[in-house]
Amino acid sequence: MRVGLVLLGVIAWAGVAALAIGMAEWDEPVWGYFPILIAVIAAWAIGEFVSREISERGE
Amino acid sequence: MIDRLFERRELHDPNWFRFLFGNAVLAPLWLLARTYTGWQWLQSGWGKVRGDGWIDNDGVSLQTFWNRIVQIPETGQPAIRYDWYRDFIQYMLDHEWYEWFAWVIAFGEVSVGVALIIGAFTGVAAFFGATMNFNFMLAGSASTNPVLFVLAVLMILGWKVAGYIGVDRWLLPALGTPWEPGALFSPRERREYAT
Repeated sequence: MRVGLVLLGVIAWAGVAALAIGMAEWDEPVWGYFPILIAVIAAWAIGEFVSREISERGE
Repeated sequence: MIDRLFERRELHDPNWFRFLFGNAVLAPLWLLARTYTGWQWLQSGWGKVRGDGWIDNDGVSLQTFWNRIVQIPETGQPAIRYDWYRDFIQYMLDHEWYEWFAWVIAFGEVSVGVALIIGAFTGVAAFFGATMNFNFMLAGSASTNPVLFVLAVLMILGWKVAGYIGVDRWLLPALGTPWEPGALFSPRERREYAT
């Protein structure tokens, strides 16, 4: 379970990196920034969820 | 008198400094500065990776840039103000280093951009970003470099909190610092890590 949760966090942050490169490829200097910002906050929220779950399960 | 030179005395930072560069309550502001700087680097680097004569044409764009900045015009000021830096660029030009240096710059910019956006090793990424800004400015290229340089220096100072809304939130407690091992290297810390 712990491995799955950690994997979820890793995938979330890898997704942000992939999205950022996708936005750079899209070549929209202004509008490309906002999806990245939202994705970073979402990945951070997923990471917080993962941390809490691991902590509560005592794994 | 001489013993005062080597006195063991720790000087503390003022409260405002610790608040600005070490308090997580300002993490949202650091997030904005970090992602903006990272996005600028990523766009610049990705353009070089995808073409523009950087890595797809043996660094000919870099060669053209170096050839231009080492020139000393008959009138006016040269792009490079320091002779030692001009000699350094000329040395790299003579040895055709632009062929591989274009790769270093292109992938360096992309790496710094991605690291700043996801907030992984933010202080280190900011340091390498500032190093590139510094070199571009020495080469006479202003553009966005002064602003990015200032933001990078601020992020180096705020390395503990600049990546808090990012991977550093978990990476730094896990790895620790050279003077304080993190959870991965300290059994006591490992027990408290998840909390």
